Amino acid sequence: MKEDRLFFLALLPFGAIVVAVFIVFVSTLLYNSLPIFIHEGLMVYTSSTWRPVENNPEAEVYGLLAPMIGTLEVSFLAIIISLPPGLSLAIMIEEYLPTGLKSLMETIIEVMAGLPTVLYGMWASLFFADYLKSDLMIPLHEILWFIPIFGCMPESPYTVFTAGVILGIMIMPYMVGLILDGIRQIPKKIREACYSLGMTKYETVRILLRLMRPVIIASVLLSLGRAAGETIAVSLTIGNTYNIPECLFTPGYTISSLIADQFGNSGFYVYMASALYAGGLFLLLLGVITSSTGLYLMRRWKTSV
Amino acid sequence: MSRHRYFKDKLFKIMVFVFAMAGVAPLFAIISAIAVNGGKTILSVGPGFFYGLPSSPLSSSPGGIGPALVGSLILMFLSTIIGYPLAFMTAVLAVEFPESVFGRFIDVLVKSLLEIPTILIGVLVYSLLVVPTGSFSAWAGAIALAIVILPYIYTHVENSLRSIPADIRLASYSLGLSRAKSIFYVFTCEAKRGLLTAMLIGLARASGETAPLLFTIGGNWFTYFQGLGKPIGAVPLLIYTYTLTPYTNYHEAAWGASLVLLMVYLSLFAVFRRFSKP
Repeated sequence: MKEDRLFFLALLPFGAIVVAVFIVFVSTLLYNSLPIFIHEGLMVYTSSTWRPVENNPEAEVYGLLAPMIGTLEVSFLAIIISLPPGLSLAIMIEEYLPTGLKSLMETIIEVMAGLPTVLYGMWASLFFADYLKSDLMIPLHEILWFIPIFGCMPESPYTVFTAGVILGIMIMPYMVGLILDGIRQIPKKIREACYSLGMTKYETVRILLRLMRPVIIASVLLSLGRAAGETIAVSLTIGNTYNIPECLFTPGYTISSLIADQFGNSGFYVYMASALYAGGLFLLLLGVITSSTGLYLMRRWKTSV
Repeated sequence: MSRHRYFKDKLFKIMVFVFAMAGVAPLFAIISAIAVNGGKTILSVGPGFFYGLPSSPLSSSPGGIGPALVGSLILMFLSTIIGYPLAFMTAVLAVEFPESVFGRFIDVLVKSLLEIPTILIGVLVYSLLVVPTGSFSAWAGAIALAIVILPYIYTHVENSLRSIPADIRLASYSLGLSRAKSIFYVFTCEAKRGLLTAMLIGLARASGETAPLLFTIGGNWFTYFQGLGKPIGAVPLLIYTYTLTPYTNYHEAAWGASLVLLMVYLSLFAVFRRFSKP
């Protein structure tokens, strides 16, 4: 139909806007990170020196290794913290709760998932971090001092550990959503078969969990990508200090909190902004890799059950 | 059933419930801490908290958040005005023209916007809009926010268009209506709940996002709206900035502002829930 063709053509500009935004974003990112690659090559990802020098661009050195390690540490910590409650919530909602409580619980999770991240960050920074330090970090250090990651005495409440815990709380609802999505794909007949064999709920859930292993891996990957890009709550709790966090109880940086903290100063230097764009490039690549792998696993599993 | 299996089953159940409760406990801890501390601030300042100007650091009063509150409302409004039509039209393109390659491509593209960290969107908008115009502006913030909320609105519009029953679709086409007329006269009425909730999701997201505003709006806390090309304030950015300062009275103001933001978010969410359930 001619009218349909016209309508399609009328919609095209809107699609074109999105395409244009994408192209402009990616090319700006690449263009702006180019100077640092010319200046120091791939060293920007392998060194951990951060030396801004005013009025002498040749002496400037920016290495992103420390915040890259920080990003990975904080994200892994967040996953470790959010996985047990996340799995438990999904199991509880799907297997234990009656219908009324089920929807209440799902509403609570939805509220948590959408709660502005600055509220998590503000609460953690002004209230929770002190308790976390005195009630968890110091005891952990006193008991497990011989393990290097717990090997230093927490001096400030703002550490890599604090940021990891907050991030764990924040991505937990997102993870629950993904796992629930997976659990619901499992055909009813498997559950019925389990119960008809006289299995207890625990034994049934164990079977379901084994079936769902790819979903759990996919959820972890997707949550990891989400955690790595989160800025505000991390920036408020990580202490914003440039060092390689060998111990979790020291302040640090993630790539995103480095950008949030330093981008405002980057105008005073020649290469700093460019180094931060290179950090953005790293974040984007990490996100693309984790999410495409995660989505691929999820899709493959959905067609297999 | 053997005793052993029975106890294992019970133990598992208890563990699941304990972990699950530990998972949702932070939400209640956050809400109650914000209600208590924010309530204290707002009661001590009075209604002036909502329209007053910030006080100076180290003074005894937390001051007001007037300009930031107005700025937030303007930014929410603007970003939805920009983001919603874009999300709606691209969703129509993807859902109603599934046979076109471009439609499917757009679907993937819009959804992958979710993968760009929001801080990066802010930084890119900074270098594309703030640097050339030479000034932080409400425009830059609204556009950054619009890009952030676009995929959320899109997903909801897409779902509501996809959930239109096939018989209504066929009935509309069999009346001889073109696709455009079907969409604007029939499908939008059929899917109006979904289209409304999509807007609420957009507003709720726009009300709380901080990272895209960090390098775009310039954080203007002291003067009310001066024009779209001028720096503007926003409540989430105010909370972030105040929390990072060492001043007690700014921390108190941050608690108060958090209570305001929490109320805005929860009420948008309540309306969203009201409309998303049939």
